[in-house]
Amino acid sequence: MKPKAQEELIYLDMTLKMPFKWRTGEPMGEFFRELKANGKIYANQCPKCGRNFCPPVNVCTRDHSRCSEKDKWVAVGPRGTVLTFFISEQSFLVPTTGEMLKVPFSVGIMLLDGAPVTLQHNLEETDSEKIKPGMRVEAVFKPKEERKGNIFDIIHFKTIKE
Amino acid sequence: MHNRVAIVGIGQTMHSGRRPYVNDGELIYDAVTKALADANLSLKDIESVMLGNMDLFEGHHLNDAMLSLYSGAMGKPGFKMNTGGTVGTMLAIQGWYHIASGLFDTCLVIGWEKHDEGPATPAITTITDPSVDRPFMVGAIGGLATISIDYMNRTGCKLEHAAMARANASLNAARNPNAHLRDKYSMQDVLNARMVLYPLNLLMCCPTSLGACAMVFASESKARKITRKPVWIKDHVTVHVEYGGAQFGVGEKRWTSHMQAGSTIFKRNHITNPRKETQVFEMYDPFAFAIPSWMEDFGICDTGEGWKLVEKGAIALEGEYPISPSGGVMCTNAIGDSGMLRVAEAALQIRGDAGEHQVTREVKQALASGFGGSYWTDLLLLSKTTD
Repeated sequence: MKPKAQEELIYLDMTLKMPFKWRTGEPMGEFFRELKANGKIYANQCPKCGRNFCPPVNVCTRDHSRCSEKDKWVAVGPRGTVLTFFISEQSFLVPTTGEMLKVPFSVGIMLLDGAPVTLQHNLEETDSEKIKPGMRVEAVFKPKEERKGNIFDIIHFKTIKE
Repeated sequence: MHNRVAIVGIGQTMHSGRRPYVNDGELIYDAVTKALADANLSLKDIESVMLGNMDLFEGHHLNDAMLSLYSGAMGKPGFKMNTGGTVGTMLAIQGWYHIASGLFDTCLVIGWEKHDEGPATPAITTITDPSVDRPFMVGAIGGLATISIDYMNRTGCKLEHAAMARANASLNAARNPNAHLRDKYSMQDVLNARMVLYPLNLLMCCPTSLGACAMVFASESKARKITRKPVWIKDHVTVHVEYGGAQFGVGEKRWTSHMQAGSTIFKRNHITNPRKETQVFEMYDPFAFAIPSWMEDFGICDTGEGWKLVEKGAIALEGEYPISPSGGVMCTNAIGDSGMLRVAEAALQIRGDAGEHQVTREVKQALASGFGGSYWTDLLLLSKTTD
């Protein structure tokens, strides 16, 4: 009989580290160009039903018609209303960067003024006593020279009083 | 018109957080063997095999290829499901399609997950749009926390009510030998747990478990020969959602896939009082607010009534309308089998074979739901009889 090995090897460690590219599509590209160049948040409009989308879409979710960057764009926000939120007190791995999130951080699901579709982003406020659904917020942009044409050109949404 | 479909065999493994000496194939083999034994069938009686989990959780793509050794799929038709939270219920529904079509008399369906082999939260996060959503998403619980805040804000539900639902689940799981988390908790114990993602603390989130569940489906003529206790799949529905805030029931107008699924099933089956006409609900309840808020969304009770029913103890094993008597997803969550366990446990309640966690009221019809991933809601109506 085969003598039993001393060391138990019941796990093989493996790490999947695979590079990917993500094509944002033309409307999302236009959205990011506006964030970077002008510090403006734009929604694109379905050419058929007129519904505004922010973040923009390539295809209308309601009537399935094609939306292109040449269709109508509408400036929305930068103010909006928080519908719901969460506050994380535990850190998690971010698959897009491989980094751990800094805690605490909060995320709000918001309706920007003029947009019927929700956008999520970080809230400046991370105290659960101070965030309430219905709260008004406003986007805070990075200075122009620091903007890169991604969603983090908006630092976060700060609480405002109106 | 379609053929009638019955569940004739049910098998599940024990569930736990870690089993270092067991690999994924062995889990599947265990569940399959138990399901076949329950139906008193052998693999040669099985005409088609369906398998499902979430590939990225174990970092093993197209695992149905390698796992055919354990699933028994070799030489047989079938396919792999990978729809996230709804994998298990979707497998049951696909099993139904196989039999209902009249093309097969038997179908074996298997759902499994082995969460201890990889990082679940970053894997789930990859289901979202990387350009605008992924940076802000923390797996499944981010969305579940936003649903909780919205529910508390709309109806006046408090953290205490979620803690009551979780405490009740712990009492149920303590009676279920296959459940993962089996410690008993009081409402206060739950409230004292470490905060993870406000408003959800550690006990209010589902665990990451490992385990498998398998079921055998059969046509009517076959089912009557196989078992004296077939459980009939009377109806089922799947509802997809618009990507974005609509997933969480927030937006211009409140609409959720659970709302559409519940109203569809009840209308189609002429059910006007679901708490009387169905006697138990194995709900896919991955967070402590799920039971009160989704009872309302499914139409089990009125808006704002869910947390009041929890407060009254209606959802307990011996209550007016028991929910997840197995302990539910909050106590056992191996994602690929979580949905299938809901169907399997609801069927065991109808058979009267749930053992220690059998509900006290007589079960003639039961509901089982699946939630999450891509096809957001699955809802199945099971019945003791074919009428």
